[in-house]
Amino acid sequence: MEIKSDYSTTGNLRKTLLMMIPMLLLTFLFISGGKPDFSNKVNVFAFLLTFLFFNWLFFMILFTGKTNRYRKTGFIVLALFFSFTFILNLIQMRGSMTFSDNNLLSCEIPFCHIVSTMVIIPAVVTKTIIFPGRINEGFASISSMLVIITGISVAVGRGFCSWGCFYGGWDDGCSGILAKPLIKKVNPVFKWMPFAVLLIVALSAAVTLSPTYCMWLCPFKTITEYQKVTNLEVLFQTIIFLILFAGLVLVLPILTKKRIQCATFCPMGALLSFTNKVNIFGLGIDKDKCNNCLNCTKVCPTFSITAKDVEKGKSDFTCTKCGKCIDACSKKAIHYHIKGTPVNKNHSLNRILFLMPSFTLLLIFTGRPLLNGIELIIKLITTGSLI
Amino acid sequence: MKHLTVIPAYIWAFSCTLIILFTFMGNPFLAKKLATLPFMKVNPVFSGGDITRSYSQDSLVITVYKPVFESLIGSSNHGFVQVKLAGVNQLPQIIHCTIDYDADSKADFCLNINTASNETKLESLNPLVTAINVSSRVKNYWVVRVNLEKNTRR
Repeated sequence: MEIKSDYSTTGNLRKTLLMMIPMLLLTFLFISGGKPDFSNKVNVFAFLLTFLFFNWLFFMILFTGKTNRYRKTGFIVLALFFSFTFILNLIQMRGSMTFSDNNLLSCEIPFCHIVSTMVIIPAVVTKTIIFPGRINEGFASISSMLVIITGISVAVGRGFCSWGCFYGGWDDGCSGILAKPLIKKVNPVFKWMPFAVLLIVALSAAVTLSPTYCMWLCPFKTITEYQKVTNLEVLFQTIIFLILFAGLVLVLPILTKKRIQCATFCPMGALLSFTNKVNIFGLGIDKDKCNNCLNCTKVCPTFSITAKDVEKGKSDFTCTKCGKCIDACSKKAIHYHIKGTPVNKNHSLNRILFLMPSFTLLLIFTGRPLLNGIELIIKLITTGSLI
Repeated sequence: MKHLTVIPAYIWAFSCTLIILFTFMGNPFLAKKLATLPFMKVNPVFSGGDITRSYSQDSLVITVYKPVFESLIGSSNHGFVQVKLAGVNQLPQIIHCTIDYDADSKADFCLNINTASNETKLESLNPLVTAINVSSRVKNYWVVRVNLEKNTRR
């Protein structure tokens, strides 16, 4: 039997609409950036579409009680529109997706959150940042991104990987393409791989004083920016990241229905797993309701629930809080849990308290790219040009 | 005893939304504060290091940077020196200059650059100067990094 607290919005239109009020305000604020631009019909249309899209997502999450389906929709939109607008911006500024010696020498490469895994040791030892970016000016400056990563780590821990990462939507989307996996068994031991990758890239970056993961391994250069091929070394790096993108982000997630890149390779995921240890939100499993069907262990895209975790009554510290296991549990035994509170009480309140920061995160990261993307698509349709 | 953790846990959970809002809305302020911390500067391997001197030669303004021999601990035996070349009015098509990077009044290397064809030739006048690391136009000036070996006999 489901425990319904006073905060349960599932199937209750009045309560859902009441809970929507703060999100309506936040959506307006973050999409418009505080200064709504209604100077022409295209802007108004793009704004309305973005505004309605987010509020529809949040409404459905509250009203249906299902989290993952609607989160995933927003998350895939984030990945697609972030890449689309980011690449177009680069083309407008530089004329191509590639960066050259010119951009490296003038230290104007945007700082991505994954770089933070490599800058920590050199920052402590040499008191410098080993990245050719801007300290505090322009788009994605180093200090601005470090503040964002710290705030997110404190607020939602590794929830970032399912609610805010602008890359995760690629393999999350690909993992949902097939109805059933073609590769049915993936050894969960692979979930420890990101920790090995983290250790290797953190140490190699410290020794070489260069962001080794960005240079040699990052598959997401395929859908953001990469170095212009001018020599054999860069050609080799290009081949590696293209193969990794095809394998880890596209093919293997499709075949396994798992987020292979996030679960088995991303060093940022490993770093954020540690913040999960101290983060207030987690997943709790009510052992009185659980019938040990272990469906949760099968559907988890990041191998974060095993039979042992079910026994312990909580997900592993690598959990990205996507909500897929919660939606899949036929006994409604899994819930968002606030550490320090009883596992079998106040599920609805806990869920809302988790959804507010995590959905706000999704909104903040997706809002502007979606708005700009819609405007660009309208421009393409009406003028035949994106630039 | 259990109640003692419940109330702070809910307060903390509620404040997570505020943390997210503060992180993004207060980002310009927080980022500015963070940028003032001592470790918040780009490593010389990427920035080229500190400027040691700047002088005019023919129609060029030459800026010489401090040689960079960075390593995690101590210093490396291999490094580079960055030189920035700007035109007094505009960047000439052919640049020919001699550089004394260690300010010992002896020229250490000559650079011959064709800015139109991106061709750079290095003439080493000092055994510690080994090769061109990178040579590229940056905005309206030209930047050259020349590889160096550390003088271990000093």
